Amino acid sequence: MRFFKSLLSATLLIAGALAAKKSPTERFSEYHTKALSSSPLKLSETSYKSLTSTPRDYSVVVLLTALENRFGCQLCRDFQPEYDLLGKGWVKGDKKAESRLLFGTLDFVDGRDVFVSLGLQTAPVLLLFQPTEGPHAVASKDPIRYDFTTGPPTAEQVHGWLSRHLTDRPHPPVKRPINWQRWASAITIILGGITLVATASPYILPVIQNRALWATGSMFFVLLFTSGYMFCQIRNVPYVTGNGKGGVSYFAGSFQNQHGLETQVVGGLYGILAITFTVLVTKVPTISNPRYQQVAAVACGGTIFLLQSALLSIFRIKNGGYPFSLPPFM
Amino acid sequence: MAVAQQNALLGPPSQSSRTLLRVVILLFIAGAAIASRLFSVIRFESIIHEFDPWFNFRATKYLVANGFYKFWDWFDDRTWHPLGRVTGGTLYPGLMVTSGVIYHILQALTIPIDIRNICVLLAPAFSGLTAFAAYLLTNEMTTSPSAGLLAAAFMGIAPGYISRSVAGSYDNEAIAIFLLVFTFYLWIKALKLGSMLWGALCALFYGYMVASWGGYAFITCILPLHAFVLICMGRYSRRLYVSYTTWYALGTLASMQIPFVGFLPVKTSEHMPALGIFGFLQLVGFIDYVRSAISGRQFQAFLITVLVATFGIGLAGLVALTSLGYIAPWGGRFYSLWDTGYAKVHIPIIASVSEHQPTAWPAFFFDLNILVWLLPAGIWLLYKELRDEHVFVITYALCGSYFAGVMVRLMLTLTPIVCVAAAIAASKLLDTYLVKSPSQTSTSEAGEKKAPKSADKTASPLGVSSMVSKLTIVGAMIVYLLMFVSHCTWVTSNAYSSPSVVLASRMPDGSQHIIDDYREAYQWLRQNTKEDAKIMSWWDYGYQIGGMADRPTLVDNNTWNNTHIATVGKAMSSREEVSYPIMRQHEVDYVLIVFGGLLGYSGDDINKFLWMVRIAEGIWPEEVKERDFFTARGEYRVDDGATDTMKNSLMYKMSYHNYQSMFPPGKAADRVRGVQLPSEGPVLNTIEEAYTTENWIIRIYKVKDLDNVGRDHFSAAAFDRGQKKKATKKRGPRVLRVD
Repeated sequence: MRFFKSLLSATLLIAGALAAKKSPTERFSEYHTKALSSSPLKLSETSYKSLTSTPRDYSVVVLLTALENRFGCQLCRDFQPEYDLLGKGWVKGDKKAESRLLFGTLDFVDGRDVFVSLGLQTAPVLLLFQPTEGPHAVASKDPIRYDFTTGPPTAEQVHGWLSRHLTDRPHPPVKRPINWQRWASAITIILGGITLVATASPYILPVIQNRALWATGSMFFVLLFTSGYMFCQIRNVPYVTGNGKGGVSYFAGSFQNQHGLETQVVGGLYGILAITFTVLVTKVPTISNPRYQQVAAVACGGTIFLLQSALLSIFRIKNGGYPFSLPPFM
Repeated sequence: MAVAQQNALLGPPSQSSRTLLRVVILLFIAGAAIASRLFSVIRFESIIHEFDPWFNFRATKYLVANGFYKFWDWFDDRTWHPLGRVTGGTLYPGLMVTSGVIYHILQALTIPIDIRNICVLLAPAFSGLTAFAAYLLTNEMTTSPSAGLLAAAFMGIAPGYISRSVAGSYDNEAIAIFLLVFTFYLWIKALKLGSMLWGALCALFYGYMVASWGGYAFITCILPLHAFVLICMGRYSRRLYVSYTTWYALGTLASMQIPFVGFLPVKTSEHMPALGIFGFLQLVGFIDYVRSAISGRQFQAFLITVLVATFGIGLAGLVALTSLGYIAPWGGRFYSLWDTGYAKVHIPIIASVSEHQPTAWPAFFFDLNILVWLLPAGIWLLYKELRDEHVFVITYALCGSYFAGVMVRLMLTLTPIVCVAAAIAASKLLDTYLVKSPSQTSTSEAGEKKAPKSADKTASPLGVSSMVSKLTIVGAMIVYLLMFVSHCTWVTSNAYSSPSVVLASRMPDGSQHIIDDYREAYQWLRQNTKEDAKIMSWWDYGYQIGGMADRPTLVDNNTWNNTHIATVGKAMSSREEVSYPIMRQHEVDYVLIVFGGLLGYSGDDINKFLWMVRIAEGIWPEEVKERDFFTARGEYRVDDGATDTMKNSLMYKMSYHNYQSMFPPGKAADRVRGVQLPSEGPVLNTIEEAYTTENWIIRIYKVKDLDNVGRDHFSAAAFDRGQKKKATKKRGPRVLRVD
């Protein structure tokens, strides 16, 4: 039994060695025929090793990734479709394999030992193995690593990176498939919109021409933009953050920065102030009963005073040296 | 101010005395506007501020010395070495010509005033005019007598405008905001009257604006937008047609006279809305004419055919011209306003400028204070009436607030309309609550309190009767206005009055200490280097070196050639072996860097360094990599844990060269980054320290010439170091002179 086992392993070893011993050209044509049916190639540990073994007269791009949910690699999942698109497009545009480039994907599940031997702590990693012999051979046999620092790259960005390294070889362009669904839905929506406007115009027109609605909309817009909404959008700031003591910090303590919540609080304050102000100007003078009028005026004035005081106190959180304040929030 | 206005309102209704009061008040407002901008002159001295103004100042001096035509054809070989810059054709000449004209007028009047003082005080002087323009614009909006004055007062002291117009801030914005507001006033006037004369005047000032500031595109887009909104609201009129077409035709011709603008108005997408609306107006005007000529049924068929045909042809033409390359797509700076992520990815040089960052809410409150919530109130009140000119204010306010939210510097274009809208709101309140007796002027106040209840039920504008509410509301409003004034003064004095060339700090005993390292370094360059010694520095300091040290620079704040800037970035961020050939190729004699580590000055080059790396990476992605400047854990460090690439970069070496010698061994600390530095400082081989200022803010290095005996610099430097050690042993006390 033991003998058989060792014999088996011996034959396997020889077979493996034979496979590795295949000339680089043979290896390439073997993998290239596979690639023609499905590119990028789904690699295993052994195929990874044989594909990247030296000497080689072709280039290989390998994406080392971890797609399974339990690894929680968002970047891997975001990048995978782009990479597949690139691999597919490249092989399709280069059927005769003039660029001598192969695309492969190795998942962590299939090639744990490769990850360990390369000492990889993170995924995804994109490696480019340049040829070690032939016209495009480079001196170093170590792969070049793509830099994933700026979020998931598009297929075009990786294509550009490859093109820079694989000089004087054809670079089949990335062809994005036409997104039929998107086109169809866009056309449907446009046609539907036109129909809706045409049929429902008697009901829509009064709404569109409603001045109060536009006024409210304009006010809302101005309030949104003057309370830092665009800042939150562009900087992707958190809604609130922890204050390090287990509590929640609602206001960022710096003048140059803010949280998402602040936009709502400050915008709300501005909005109430503005509305109270307009009530004071337009509505209060039309109250005919002098006593009610007086109560309303004082109430509005008080609200404005109170909110202005609150606003100043919030501003003092942001700007420590600000000297002005109003009671009661001193 | 508020008290003065009350007097104007309560005073006898004599026309002449009111006019007199108005003039006096406006003069006081202009005085206040100018006075509040003089903080920096009083605290420091009459000096040009910051960066861009130094170029404008240098150009003005050239203009005054050489005359207008030489200025127009000026090729400057002392910047962007070795490329040079066609300065006359790549600047907005309005500012320089304005101060040149003022200079010559004063000379003709035999008032001997230095051109520098004219440049320093130009912005405050124009702020007075801006306040007046705001007064005129607001008066077109409302019949309230106080709104214009309030708007002028707001405009005069609002920090959002002061930030760019303090004394010494000699930049295009100094005159451009006046021109902006005044052009808008003329536009409103032309639109109201349907007058060709006012339209032509509007075009004239638009031309002046184009000559002064790149922000003219704002007018180019707001006026068509206003016209478009009016048409959509069904408010097309002959007045609109006359005023718009006059403005567009003459204004475009005027703007094309500026060499820097040239044919852009017919070639770039920024200007296409104006052209499109011009065509659209012709069409609408034509349809309007046909409608009066043919019957209703035919007209409808006609209308649909014409609209569809024109729209289709126009769109196809636009697409064809754009794809053939006759019309440029949106410029990067402009495009980044819509797609806010665009600049960061594609044009790092735009994203690197701090004034192109988005605005957080404290900045709005800081720059506008109470006006920021008076603005929506004002918009609401304008909707009550909604005349054509009110539509303008609303359109402008909406666009302006969006732009200001995306880019900090565009707060400047928002401020005027905020002042106008807020003044309309505030004056409405004051008018309502300050009228002596509401709606019943003839009867006595005590007796009529019960009577109006039945009589005036139908009439809505009753007015305010109670003295208590009047006093509360007006009193509170006066408190807010006074707080606004003190807020503006405080902001101006604390935030916007630093020349940034000279820094001020407080000593422990409270006295002021002036840090004057910039001028010290520039003066050193001026006195100790050859007149054509090329200085390499990051582009921020290019204009200052040109203006103060009068030495040629490689790159400056004009940033017209990204590759050249990237070259400097590469030289700064690479190893010496790479940098030295670059510097030799560009004939660099001295390298100037800013280092804040000793003083704790945070705006230094190590903090800007990543932008140099990023910009260089954009051109040479294989040679400079941003990733290499971060540690494995993604930190940007300068201490022991810094990456090798960081430690070997020329910028790092120059910053910390010899720095350790300032401290006891092993105690060297960087006060900006707040870290302990490695005990061994970096070694420089191909350049040598030439000068370091008092507080180490500016460090200047001389690029070594080729070695006399043909060694490379590294072995030569190593040899020198070996020699020095032996030599110091042998040498006794230093002898300065041997007779």
